Amino acid sequence: MALPKSLVATLTPDELTFLAEEDRVQIVPLFSMTRVRLLSGIYGPFQPPSATTVPLWLALSLKKKRKCRIVPPEWMSADRLQALLKDEKENAEGFEPLPRRFIETSKVLLDLASDDLYSPTMLRSLLKDLREVRQAKIRLGLQSEGVMRGSYLQVTNLTPLELSELKPFLVKAMGMMQSLEPRGDEEEGQGNDGALGGYTQQSI
Amino acid sequence: MDDDYYSLQSILADNHKLSCTFTLDVPGLGYLEGSTEPDIHQNSKVEIPFWLAQTLSLNEFTTFPLPPAYSNRVRAALNASAPSVKLSHLVGGGGCWYRWGRRIAEVLDDQPQADLLNMLLNAFLARLPPLQDLSAHIASADHSIPEGDAGSGESFREGMEGDERDLFSVGQDSARITKAWYDSNGRKAGGR
Repeated sequence: MALPKSLVATLTPDELTFLAEEDRVQIVPLFSMTRVRLLSGIYGPFQPPSATTVPLWLALSLKKKRKCRIVPPEWMSADRLQALLKDEKENAEGFEPLPRRFIETSKVLLDLASDDLYSPTMLRSLLKDLREVRQAKIRLGLQSEGVMRGSYLQVTNLTPLELSELKPFLVKAMGMMQSLEPRGDEEEGQGNDGALGGYTQQSI
Repeated sequence: MDDDYYSLQSILADNHKLSCTFTLDVPGLGYLEGSTEPDIHQNSKVEIPFWLAQTLSLNEFTTFPLPPAYSNRVRAALNASAPSVKLSHLVGGGGCWYRWGRRIAEVLDDQPQADLLNMLLNAFLARLPPLQDLSAHIASADHSIPEGDAGSGESFREGMEGDERDLFSVGQDSARITKAWYDSNGRKAGGR
């Protein structure tokens, strides 16, 4: 393929952020306007004290023009994140389920709308802790028995962003393992094929 | 590891020299030996590239012992501590230890073939965790040596063979892209 190598294997974080901007968020507009028809849908009406739902990209665009206040998603609070972090630490086996675009959304909100969040510094450090705990688990997972027998890596509940970082390396490494598999285990080799395919299909 | 016809790595792996013993006299091929004699005699040892040795060996014109890069001595070293074996030294810089081993295995009989492939696979598995650590952390801003004993990262990096180098740069790239994203300030988001 003619794409640069880094784009062939997986989606980049920037592309994932772009996709995350399709998600809906609630905003409180600071201006009045009737419904507005855009290519992607009809949004509004914008009536100052009442909230309305728009895609994240529109919310951010309005935010940059200081025309709205973004209502953070319910998981974007210090309490919820602290609980999540605690669960993540206690769950040594797997990963805690997160909203699909958790990392992208939280980062964009912290970057552009931190004045709408309650104690952004705290949120930032909690998110960092959470990321570190999960990264450590991924690292352990890579040295686990599943990978050692060349068959699978436990990726349940990883978000697409985390997968995108892992995927190019893992897929290539698994490919090498498979090609070094002794021929006698032909059937087992095909089993691996399925597992790898299953992994690759983990939708982004 | 693709065995694509156009794969440069595969072509390079096929080009490693193998020391073969001829089982018969071959007239007119003395130049392979680098000698002035016109003929190759029975039992003479000649270093020939693998792609030629493969065909000759399958037709039983030559025999070859396992090359030193896959000898018992290397196997013992790998069993002792796979990450500290310098694979690149075994097959020359940029050489393809795994690929070449696999090509040789294709010529061997069942038992030695399984032994050789198992050695390759186990070596790869044992070297994967340090490789992953190294590729994930070398991209971070500090160029200090990643966790573990001081210096092991550097010496491991020196010992990587061709495909490990590829894998390393793949891991490094995705680590770098992700890190750049985390460090970016999100000005791109939401248009102007």
